[in-house]
Amino acid sequence: MRLHPVGTHIELEDAGVSLGGQTILRGLTLTVAAAEVLGIAGPNGSGKTTFLRLLATLTAPYRGTGRVLGATLGTSEVYRIRQDIGLIGHIPTVVGELTLRENLQHATRLFGGDTARVERALQVVGLTEAAERKVEQSSYGMLRRTEAARLLITRPKLLLLDEAFSGLDIDAQELIDALITRTTENGGAVVMVSHDAGHLADRASRVLAISAGRLERVA
Amino acid sequence: MKRVRILMAIAAAAMVAGLYLTLTSPTDRLQGEFTRIVNIHAPSMWVAFLAFGVTALASILWLVRKTDRWDRVAEASVETGVLFTATGLFTGMVWGQAVWGRAWDWADPRMASTAVMFFVYIGYLALRRATPDPVMRARRSAILGAIAVVQVPLVYFSVNLFRSLHQTQSIRPDGATMPDAMVIALLVNFVAFTLLYVALTAARVEVAKAEESRSAETVLAGDAVAAPLLSEVEDV
Amino acid sequence: MTFWDQAVEIARVDLRVERRVGDVLRIILPFAVIALLVFPLALGVDLSAITQLGPAVFWAIGVLFGMQVALRQAADDRPERRDLYSLLGVDPAARFVGRSMSGSVLMLAFMVVLLAATFVLYSPRLPSGWPGPVILALLLTAVGLTELGTLAGEVTAGLRSRTALASLIVAPLAIPLVIGGSQTLESLTRDTSILPWLLLLIATDLALAVAGVALARPLEEASR
Repeated sequence: MRLHPVGTHIELEDAGVSLGGQTILRGLTLTVAAAEVLGIAGPNGSGKTTFLRLLATLTAPYRGTGRVLGATLGTSEVYRIRQDIGLIGHIPTVVGELTLRENLQHATRLFGGDTARVERALQVVGLTEAAERKVEQSSYGMLRRTEAARLLITRPKLLLLDEAFSGLDIDAQELIDALITRTTENGGAVVMVSHDAGHLADRASRVLAISAGRLERVA
Repeated sequence: MKRVRILMAIAAAAMVAGLYLTLTSPTDRLQGEFTRIVNIHAPSMWVAFLAFGVTALASILWLVRKTDRWDRVAEASVETGVLFTATGLFTGMVWGQAVWGRAWDWADPRMASTAVMFFVYIGYLALRRATPDPVMRARRSAILGAIAVVQVPLVYFSVNLFRSLHQTQSIRPDGATMPDAMVIALLVNFVAFTLLYVALTAARVEVAKAEESRSAETVLAGDAVAAPLLSEVEDV
Repeated sequence: MTFWDQAVEIARVDLRVERRVGDVLRIILPFAVIALLVFPLALGVDLSAITQLGPAVFWAIGVLFGMQVALRQAADDRPERRDLYSLLGVDPAARFVGRSMSGSVLMLAFMVVLLAATFVLYSPRLPSGWPGPVILALLLTAVGLTELGTLAGEVTAGLRSRTALASLIVAPLAIPLVIGGSQTLESLTRDTSILPWLLLLIATDLALAVAGVALARPLEEASR
């Protein structure tokens, strides 16, 4: 059974994350409400990706508490809400030996979605002509569009974007913007990380920075 | 492709002639009808050696000149060579089972060395398949193709170097050890198989050229991407 | 999507990828046949000894190289793909079952072709009535080895030298499979009961299946 939270999508209370025995993040206290777009700025290596992975429930906090979409982090509750999370990470997540269309069909089936929506999603992201290309024949921008198409099908309630705009042309950037708008208009929340604070300021309702492993307000 | 069709027609005619002589030539008193297998076995192995020799030459020419044509020839020649090596091994095993009573004989260094040679070139084809970039693929294959040919003389002379169950060369500079009719049948089949090798390799080179042309004509990645339908994002 | 639907979908895509990449049939299988060739050449034994050695060499090489068939998926399993499957709601146990299904199909094909090569190269003398029990033992060994490889891949996920480490873990744990398989044939030759050996294989397969399904979630969390 999926949880259908109303109001607050993310709650962190003094949460910390360590990797390989080293503390990456500490003292994370944060609330993200429905329809909010939160920007997280910080230089390379500051822990932005680790922070997103925490929110994606792919990493558990070693101290403190956290709830994402009503599920407590670090418990089996997260299995019930993972399908409501959409993540665009550093590296495009596709199966290398499949075509773009096959990747989308595969993801849709595993998600339990209707594969009839695949063609429509490809059309909307502008990949109908390119859909039979294999991943190795596709550009970075095409792979990102494939991920966007997947998110159009899965309709996440929490959208997490890790440097999602970098390396994309204007059309593809506008597509990501449209995804953000759709998510928030449907009551979802968005957390986007970038090393480009100006980029965040144009899109986020609130921007925080990660510095020395902690979240700080941006002046 | 017209040239290939002509080569195929000539090879087919030669193969028919070879087949006719195979079926009508005299047989060995001890081996009986199984003698005829030698008209497939020996030419197959000869063509395999030729094919791998051509591969080595084409590989060296690619390394020196870097023209695509030599890479295509090298690849096509290996594919044909592997096919004929498999044919030679299979017919050798059939003959061995009939004449020696066992398909495989560890006492015969030529069998084992031929099998090893077969797998080396299987590895060559696997290497090509695993390398997506065409220039890197050509370079790595050329290096392997130039080195791997050392096995050909090892396989050929293994029957002379090691005391072996396998027959030594039947046709030597000082004369043949079998009747003239059998020699003629064998020689015609050598020619026929060689023509078949040339035709098959030429055909494969043409196919490779056509594949490369097709991928060159493929729409550039950027041109295959359309503008997204931003107003329809909600409709998916 | 149900648990079994997810498992079948994962198996289906794995087999499609293998059909395109061809690691098992084009690389691992020829390598294993070369090992069958090299063994007698290195030992320099006579023909009658080779004939006797044939079945034992088949099981040893089949299991050792079969491990590479089982572990090739582990080599392909990048962290991003695991994360994607997690966020698509794929049950880790379904992923284990799906990988085991596709791996077993490939493993069985691998072992059958290797068996044919063993027949040609070693001319083993086999007792009458051998096909049924031997094919059954092959199937059970294929399933067990795949489950072992998939589990080892999960245990070593994200670690440096993952493939070598996974091989090291699988090799000793595969001993019951080697014993079960080889002793099935040995028992047929001596005309004694093959049941204990088949039961050993079945028990090993079941234990690995239960372990794989039960440990799937903890292993997934531990790999992060």
